[in-house]
Amino acid sequence: MEDLSKLYDAILVGNFKQAREVTEKALAEKVDPQTLVQKHMIPAMDEVGRRYEANEYFVPELLIAARAMKASLELIRPLLTARGDSFAGRVVIGTVKGDLHDIGKNLVAAMLEGAGFEVIDLGVDVSPEKFTSAIKERKANLVAMSALLTTTMSSMKNIIEAIKAAGLRNQVRVMIGGAPVTDKYAQEIGADGYSSNANGAVALARKLVAA
Amino acid sequence: MTSRDRWLALFADEKPDRIPTDYWATDEVTARLQRELRCATKEELYCKLSIDGLTDIEAPKTVEHHPDDPEADIWGLRRAPINYGGGVYDEFANHPLADITTVEQVHAFKWPSADDRDYVQFARSLRDASRHRVIRAGDFEPFLLYCAMRGMEQAMMDLVTEPEIAQAALDHIFDYHYSVNQRLFELGKGQIDVTYVAEDLGGQTALLFSLAQIRKFILPNQKKMADLARSYGIHVFYHTDGAARDIIPDLINVTGIEVLNPIQWRCPGMERESLARDFGDRVIFHGAIDNQQTLPFGTTQDVRNEVLDNIRIFSGRRWICAPCHNLQPITPTANITTMYETIHEYGRL
Repeated sequence: MEDLSKLYDAILVGNFKQAREVTEKALAEKVDPQTLVQKHMIPAMDEVGRRYEANEYFVPELLIAARAMKASLELIRPLLTARGDSFAGRVVIGTVKGDLHDIGKNLVAAMLEGAGFEVIDLGVDVSPEKFTSAIKERKANLVAMSALLTTTMSSMKNIIEAIKAAGLRNQVRVMIGGAPVTDKYAQEIGADGYSSNANGAVALARKLVAA
Repeated sequence: MTSRDRWLALFADEKPDRIPTDYWATDEVTARLQRELRCATKEELYCKLSIDGLTDIEAPKTVEHHPDDPEADIWGLRRAPINYGGGVYDEFANHPLADITTVEQVHAFKWPSADDRDYVQFARSLRDASRHRVIRAGDFEPFLLYCAMRGMEQAMMDLVTEPEIAQAALDHIFDYHYSVNQRLFELGKGQIDVTYVAEDLGGQTALLFSLAQIRKFILPNQKKMADLARSYGIHVFYHTDGAARDIIPDLINVTGIEVLNPIQWRCPGMERESLARDFGDRVIFHGAIDNQQTLPFGTTQDVRNEVLDNIRIFSGRRWICAPCHNLQPITPTANITTMYETIHEYGRL
């Protein structure tokens, strides 16, 4: 019987090969994929987030932990999808039009995946139309958008307007982030929340989908 | 006092006649300001707004492209213009070290040579430069370049998972800049005032890297570069974005920086009062006019208040008034002129 605590350890130290191997063996031994996610992956990513908040982990450690988590999740996700398991929420995420800076967005996407959300990553330079059609087609209940530049930040407002115009505003909660973004700005443009970092984004997403 | 005298007075720990100023902006902003303020040249703009600034002198490249990629620069980087609305940034379109897995491959990459710069032209530019402003030559920001060459996320992960690859590449980048700077400093002996050393170590809320990572990968080469500058009597101007408080003692004690830019005081730990109190006797603060909220989105009264706050907070310390990083096209002209008018009106020492 595979020692599943090794999955937790592998994610925590960012060992993606071990994360993949443990997951492969566990699935071959018919361990329930939800057990892997709920009992090992999510607690590991929660601990990664805690260490980041406590200044024990920095961006390199977040990145390698996320990579290890993804190596495991890639094997698990198809099984969950095939049997129609529900996720903590379905998030459409991207950087806004004109902004190619995506390390923050990628970290938020990874931390959300690691927290059990289904993440639809639209990538960078995403237009309002792309956001709205993804929300509609994928039936998302959460939108996360990011901007690094003060010049592109104003697109966030346009995206929220587009979501409203498409009649989707009641379907989704909107969260925003990025270096120049603030709580005040989130309120001004009618977003539902703001987080200054990837770990805070998970707490915010959990709060928004529970509300 | 000339603009140069003003800056040099700070380096000598003497009192200039007024708080010196500097200017950082995107090309679009400079073009707009020149147009709106009817200035034919950047020099006229500096005079009109009483900007001290500095003069950058470069040694032009004699080789523009990488031997294996005629469309790439000397580091093998291709660029693509990205319109962000109101302006254009060149973003990197490839990462030439992305697929490298061994140190041998790092060494086998065709690194640029310091020979491929026009030092005759550099000496000529230096000779012809006005002595009215401080002269800056040489720069060094190796990890930023490594991120471009490797891909940012991989570059950051390398610090944990592929430390030998990161170190080898950073050393190649260092060797090139050290050789270039050595030649610039030698040719410009006694004429260069300032050199730039930089690395973005802070994010919006915390350091991007651990102290151990910074001390291992960043500081040793930085110190060598700063020591080189110092041996020529050149002052070290240091740039790091963000919440960098925890590394400032190392920057002062190990690297030996003299100017700290840009003082993003809204970031945790970067509060001006505490920086002035804890480090104000050892570094000159440069920047500190917020470029994420106040300048782009504040009113002229907000800008004015911030300049006045800084005058008060940095009183008895050394401060060069400048925007925190490049002014962006979204920034109203009135906010920019207010910043310079306020410091001109109240910055007399």
